[in-house]
Amino acid sequence: MNDDTPVQKPPTGVITPADFTTFMRNYQDMVFSTATRLTGNEAQAEDISQEVFLKAYEHFDMLSSSPTAGGWLKTVATNLSLNHLSRYRNRWKFFSEFRRDDAAGDTDVPDVDFAAPDTFFSGVDADERRAWVEEALEKLPEHQRVPLVLYHFEDLPYEDIAKKLGVSLAKVKTDILRARTALAAIIARSGARHETLSA
Amino acid sequence: MKHSPEDLEKFIHQTLRALPARRAPHSLESRVRAAIEARAALPWWKQSFANWPLAARVAFFIGSAGVAKVALMAAVWVLAGFDSTLFTNAFSTQVSWFEGAAAAVDGIGNFCSMLFRNIPPLWLYGGLAFVAVMYAALFGLGAAAYRALYSHR
Repeated sequence: MNDDTPVQKPPTGVITPADFTTFMRNYQDMVFSTATRLTGNEAQAEDISQEVFLKAYEHFDMLSSSPTAGGWLKTVATNLSLNHLSRYRNRWKFFSEFRRDDAAGDTDVPDVDFAAPDTFFSGVDADERRAWVEEALEKLPEHQRVPLVLYHFEDLPYEDIAKKLGVSLAKVKTDILRARTALAAIIARSGARHETLSA
Repeated sequence: MKHSPEDLEKFIHQTLRALPARRAPHSLESRVRAAIEARAALPWWKQSFANWPLAARVAFFIGSAGVAKVALMAAVWVLAGFDSTLFTNAFSTQVSWFEGAAAAVDGIGNFCSMLFRNIPPLWLYGGLAFVAVMYAALFGLGAAAYRALYSHR
């Protein structure tokens, strides 16, 4: 990821389209990845990325010379994605949570079979591996995918995730554990399908 | 072979962290540029308040205060039954602003309570029941539509 890549251009005082275009090209993949993995939807992620860069344009005087511009963009992308999700969730909360088991303390997750990480993807090219994992992430339900992404990609501790999402610590741990199990199972199924197809 | 949660965490962490960044769509750059140009092309009064010229912001505050005062005076005049004596008394000094506001609020409160008392109870309960039934019906319709259209996606 290019989130820590500092922008090479010195501040000019006046924003020129070329400066900002270079800035955007340096960071757009990182911003889009963050938004896509959180929302699980490319169209929404593009809207969110556009909003992030419009905010960046407003603060470009400060960001153009800042070595932490990547972190700033990532934080804004994360917050806007979470705002987007909570707006959508609030709209449909009552309906979508009719059947949802919100039992926070239930951590009884079945074991899952998976090969050792270093051997699991042997014989699979990088593009295919990326496609499997991204597809598996998108298949996860939102209440599992979001904490999983915040934990593994954003390096947030459980406590911070619970605060950000407004849920209990136990629920965050349970959802992340279930997400890992589900993700491993989906990846394993993709691997089995791949072996069948290539046999 | 079964694995512990720690093995699972390690496996998932390695797998996810090995993912490269997703390539942003080509349209993103042009969309952002178009949005910036569209914003820049807006006249100042259509931009956010923070971008207004200072003089315009000050004029807006003064104008808003003036409009609020006129509205308050009109409300007091109407509530005083178009009695110019009461109106003059209410606005004889700048200090009476607050008294005028209190009188206006009081008057509006009295009007509402009078209106409420004069509605026949049957109309009131019937209206409330109608609103409750419509709310429940629309809610049920929304839930059914959501279950039918979205919940299995």
